[in-house]
Amino acid sequence: MFYLRLARGYRVPDLGRWLLTALAAAVVAAFLLRSLGRAMSDPLGGTDAVARLLWCLPPLAAVAWFAAVAARSVPARRPERIAGLTAAGAGSRRIRSLIAGEVALACTLGSVVTLLLFLVLRNDIAGPSLAPDLGMGVPLPAAAPVTLLALVPLTAGIAAACAVPANETLPGGRTRSRTGFGALRIALPIGLVVVGAALELIALRPGAAVDGRPIHLPAGLGSTSTDALGAWAASALGLALLTGPLLAWTGRLLAVGRPTPLRLLAGRGLTAQARRLGPPLAVLTLVVAMVLTTIRYWIGTPDSADALPAIEACLVLGCAAAAVVSRLAEVRIDRRDVTEALLRLGASPRLLFGAVALRTLAVGTTLLVTGGATAALAAAGLR
Amino acid sequence: MSAAPPDNDVVWARGIVKSHYGTPALRGISIGVRDGEVLAVTGPRGSGKSTLLGCLSAQLAVDEGEVWFNSSPVHTLGRAGRERLRRDRFGFVGSEPHLVPELTARENVALPLLLAGAGNKAAYTAADEWLERLDVGDVARQRPDRLVQGQCQRIAVARALAPLPPVVFADDPTAPLHREAAEQVLRILTSAARSHQLTLVLATHDPELVRFADRAVALVDGRLTAPAAPVPRGTPAQGTPGASAVTATRR
Repeated sequence: MFYLRLARGYRVPDLGRWLLTALAAAVVAAFLLRSLGRAMSDPLGGTDAVARLLWCLPPLAAVAWFAAVAARSVPARRPERIAGLTAAGAGSRRIRSLIAGEVALACTLGSVVTLLLFLVLRNDIAGPSLAPDLGMGVPLPAAAPVTLLALVPLTAGIAAACAVPANETLPGGRTRSRTGFGALRIALPIGLVVVGAALELIALRPGAAVDGRPIHLPAGLGSTSTDALGAWAASALGLALLTGPLLAWTGRLLAVGRPTPLRLLAGRGLTAQARRLGPPLAVLTLVVAMVLTTIRYWIGTPDSADALPAIEACLVLGCAAAAVVSRLAEVRIDRRDVTEALLRLGASPRLLFGAVALRTLAVGTTLLVTGGATAALAAAGLR
Repeated sequence: MSAAPPDNDVVWARGIVKSHYGTPALRGISIGVRDGEVLAVTGPRGSGKSTLLGCLSAQLAVDEGEVWFNSSPVHTLGRAGRERLRRDRFGFVGSEPHLVPELTARENVALPLLLAGAGNKAAYTAADEWLERLDVGDVARQRPDRLVQGQCQRIAVARALAPLPPVVFADDPTAPLHREAAEQVLRILTSAARSHQLTLVLATHDPELVRFADRAVALVDGRLTAPAAPVPRGTPAQGTPGASAVTATRR
């Protein structure tokens, strides 16, 4: 009941977030139930069944990531809700569990809808083409779908609860987040990128010995060697981790020399927000790079495209993009005071808009570099 | 309605009415600010001081009445015109510093000058001078998040004074400061105003600080009560209303 009352106060962005979470959870639940149905139809499936179940992990992780980023923005977006709950006697733990409960409820709703659809389709409605996916004709053990579907709200809820720092669940507890990057935070990703790229080059050199045990990639992507895949993973991780520091440096570069107010505001603003904008943007860039590489491979190789990986890619992309939007909204609200102060000083809205545009351009250029490098390394490994 | 105001009024308002979402904040105020004077606007919290300063400094549009600056109407100006007026003619210090967190102290102070189109060198020289004058010259290259509230407020005062605007509005500028620092900041603010012939409109809830002003008017419930004479009141509430409401409920 409490959540329903909270939901009555929802505005359009909240409602959109809630529905998006439910939709994403429904799709993940569909993947999970499909792997269950396949396993029921083919009890001796062996490693295929495990692989199918493992392929549910990326969408599950995407939903959890979006839930975490969205939950992280609640103290900034709804300070009055935090203040009200605190005034009503809710402590840090309870507020976090409330935020997590909201997410879990959305996920449960999505999962239940999928489960109902699954049960209805099993009832001889679906044609023979869907029969193996639904495990038709095999009795359904009740515990299996419940266990599988509990996974979605549980993962997303825990991710959401962990994402909200305890001190931000107190009114006025929002502190200015740290802006700099430590030496390790810069050295580690650079090391990963350099070592990963070097190893991949070595693995792909023309005279390299053929890997005796190639890894068969899913989604019709052919196969590759263990070395190349590991090296690419290391460099992709490094590039993702490097995104934040790179954004901060781009900001410094923008404000270098004797900057005009436009360059000063755009550059310094980017440097200050790099730490917060970095992670969601890095995840989005990584996902986009992987999806584009896959599409390019599909176009070049006939009969390799498949519907399920495409749906999965759409889901992961959507979650990553929604996480970026959520973080942008959070940053924007956090900077409302600053924007007001600048307007009071007489800065024109056009100047502020120009600063945002310049900042966006700089961010886009940086992400093109990291995403392009990730995609190029992935494309090289696929050959 | 009164006759035309005296020629030496730099800012004047006639019969201004302003409400916030239906709650009346100003109920017909007529006030004139003379050129080069330090005018104190006193009154308890919620009496409409901030709204009055907002209307006079072209931040808020009035619902009714007129606001004039140097014989030109402010109440008829559009958003762009008010922006230009604020940037080129007015300085503002709020009860909170509201500095841009990612800029250093000197960049914050130089920003209004840069916005007004001053050269880089001139802007930063003026910024350094004003920071020095307000005793925060040693932290000129620090960001506000490394500084204490008192230092930030001094930087905010320097930011308002650096472009030497004809009129400076100070809305309870000493709220975040302790008594000693408050006196010093007010002394600097008023002496700077006098030495540069700036007009200073100072809103304060502390009747003791009225002695820094040439003239005082008192506001109660959105009306001027006793023009030209400070109204001694009981000890005003300390701390911001939002914070006290929250701390009262937190255990």
